[in-house]
Amino acid sequence: MTISMRDVGLAKIVEVDGDVDLGTSGTLRRTLFAALPQTSVLALNLAAIRYIDSSGIATLIEVLNDSRRLNKQFVLFGLSTAVEEVFRLTHVLRIFRIVQTEQEAVGAA
Amino acid sequence: MTTFQVKFTMASDTRYLPVVRGAVGALTAAIGWDEAECRAIVLALDEALANIIRHAYHGRSDGLIELECRESADGLEISTLDTGEPPDPSRICAREVGSDKPGGLGTLIIRDVMDSVSYHRTESGNRFLAVKRLRKEP
Repeated sequence: MTISMRDVGLAKIVEVDGDVDLGTSGTLRRTLFAALPQTSVLALNLAAIRYIDSSGIATLIEVLNDSRRLNKQFVLFGLSTAVEEVFRLTHVLRIFRIVQTEQEAVGAA
Repeated sequence: MTTFQVKFTMASDTRYLPVVRGAVGALTAAIGWDEAECRAIVLALDEALANIIRHAYHGRSDGLIELECRESADGLEISTLDTGEPPDPSRICAREVGSDKPGGLGTLIIRDVMDSVSYHRTESGNRFLAVKRLRKEP
């Protein structure tokens, strides 16, 4: 799994590429928790994620809860069919703000 | 009937999870599930292995896990054996739907995807058994 980050206006865009599983979700967690206080909108691009397990979903729930505590926006975009299936299986689709494109995600600022 | 059976003996190291996912994904496709079902079965198995690494071995990477996947007459049987801490049945609980708590997701996935799931404490260690049936079109 590789993670990259860039600023677009007031938002931070985080791109994740590869598999998010028990072996890698800790790195994603640390990255997102470090980035969240530094921006008003944290937008996570999931388009290049080939696989995500429950530890990855749990990480996203933790970041979402922290974003609410800090009064920040946490937005997901680019969900592939495979990733969306895992969101559906874990019944978390409705708790996240999910949009189609980066433009929409950045528009949350 | 000649079918297919594959057995892995692996350390409780997350580095090996992608290896198992690749092999079992190919097996589920060969048995006859569609792509989405293959992904779901692989995910459920991955969650079972992750549970062993996290809860039975507390993140240690030197524990022993034996995994057996066997094509049956009507689907797939998955069996794991570990010698870590036995699961506490009172703590095996699926996440409540609609909750924003992060725990219990893996158990929810395993129970939703597989047709039957059971845990046994045996003389050899902790045994997890799961069955997925292939529903053929009439």
